[in-house]
Amino acid sequence: MAAADSPSDALRRRDLCSRGIRLAGKMRSDVVDLLDTYVERQGLDASASVAAVEGVPAAATEHWDEQTGTQRLLENLAAYRAFRTLLAQMLEDQQEQLGEADAALGQALAAVLLQVSAFAYHLEELLRLESLGPPSEEAAGPTSLSDLSLFERKLRGLGVLRELAQWAVRSARDLRQLTKPSPGTSLAPSPAESP
Amino acid sequence: DSHIQYERVGADVTMKCGSMDWDAAVTWTANGTDIDESHLNGSYLILKNVDLTQSGQYSCYEGSSWHLKYQTYLRVGTPPKEPVLMCRSNNYPKGFYCSWHLPTPTYIPNSFNISVIHGTREMVCEKDVFPKNRCHIRYLQLFSTVKYKVTLTVTNPLGKNSTTLTFDEFAIVKPDPPESVVAKPVPSNPRRLEVSWQNPSSWPDPESFPLKFFLRYRPLILDQWQHVELSDGTSHTITDAYAGKEYIIQVAAKDNDIGTWSDWSVAVHATPWTEEPKHLTTEAQVTETTSASTSSFMPPPTTKICDKGAVVGSGAVAVCWTAGLVLAAYGVLFI
Repeated sequence: MAAADSPSDALRRRDLCSRGIRLAGKMRSDVVDLLDTYVERQGLDASASVAAVEGVPAAATEHWDEQTGTQRLLENLAAYRAFRTLLAQMLEDQQEQLGEADAALGQALAAVLLQVSAFAYHLEELLRLESLGPPSEEAAGPTSLSDLSLFERKLRGLGVLRELAQWAVRSARDLRQLTKPSPGTSLAPSPAESP
Repeated sequence: DSHIQYERVGADVTMKCGSMDWDAAVTWTANGTDIDESHLNGSYLILKNVDLTQSGQYSCYEGSSWHLKYQTYLRVGTPPKEPVLMCRSNNYPKGFYCSWHLPTPTYIPNSFNISVIHGTREMVCEKDVFPKNRCHIRYLQLFSTVKYKVTLTVTNPLGKNSTTLTFDEFAIVKPDPPESVVAKPVPSNPRRLEVSWQNPSSWPDPESFPLKFFLRYRPLILDQWQHVELSDGTSHTITDAYAGKEYIIQVAAKDNDIGTWSDWSVAVHATPWTEEPKHLTTEAQVTETTSASTSSFMPPPTTKICDKGAVVGSGAVAVCWTAGLVLAAYGVLFI
């Protein structure tokens, strides 16, 4: 984006950011509650260590404070798109495992999935405002779970939810950085690029 | 020859007089004072079940020549107990610090070594100059699910001990208390107090990492606190204060999303605005002399007649007497 923001763009961005921050806060709170339910219903140990799960985008990052606004949006979007797929997979798996037996867990998973989708939408809209447009979604589907045992699938689910809880905290911070009026949070790509 | 010797409390200590034979005639002193021969076994000094008061300089002199043959500084102490270790981030997301102490003193010098491991990475915790038993570490990564493992080892000449803390990045976040808490009455509002404060100065970036606040207040005369949680802003107006009562007010802070509440801020005191008492002596004289007329005295709207609690200061008794005179005057009229 070479030109300055129009006032309506600036307002829309601010609106998307503040709603996104609230959504991230709610999402985190719901994911923390979901983690408790998940651990209990799946018969897991809450303190179990889960190694990094393939396909789960890690929230951990170095030099977080040096990222540009664009980097923040792109990394967040990649993460939430991945979580959207992973949670849908978990929901399907959970319904296959337990059928209607555990409606509460299924409903909680579905509610978080909805929030993840909503958040991904916010990020796509923010990227559109930057005239960058969201990158197209990768064609490759989720990792197949059929090779994993039931216990391994449960542990994988734990890893997904834990990482999502971290992302929800990070995302709120990322969006707040976007709303800060300082050069380091510039969303603009290099001036040589034209829309 | 002079050196330091460390012994445990309760130990039996035998000191040899350097290279002197067992049967040599020697004199031992402790901090310059001769030691009684009953403590000697030949030329050896025997101290049984030593205690802390026996720390000091021990010297051995050859009997006839009074040449100094041996000198040692005895330090009586204990090996270290398991140290107490605490880690906290009051300046998130910059880093965190760990501080430690021993639950009981050892009475001899101790050295501390701290190691911090995050996943496979060993991090350096830089020791602070002051306070001594503290070190700080910068976060290299944020939003990590991998836990930190901090091990503190304390060593002294009599032994060693250690403790380990394991925690995740979010759990140790605890801001310092809010600063510059100010509480003021609100003019013409007898039930309000305006409270304001500032973010703790140690919190580096309140814009990106906003704090939320918890305010508690109570009148001094009551034990029960009122609480208000505030998700943004650094001020609040209390609107339900008891008129005329002195209040004590404190504020605590917490990161909006993670970690725990700070300690309570320094307490501030304030009393809501009260109306200045009217000229009560003038009122009382008017009431006494005009027995047939209606009293013109009206108590302030927030106070009740003869309710001492609602009226400030020495005016309370005067109001009650005045009201009593009014009623007495009416009573006389109607008899």
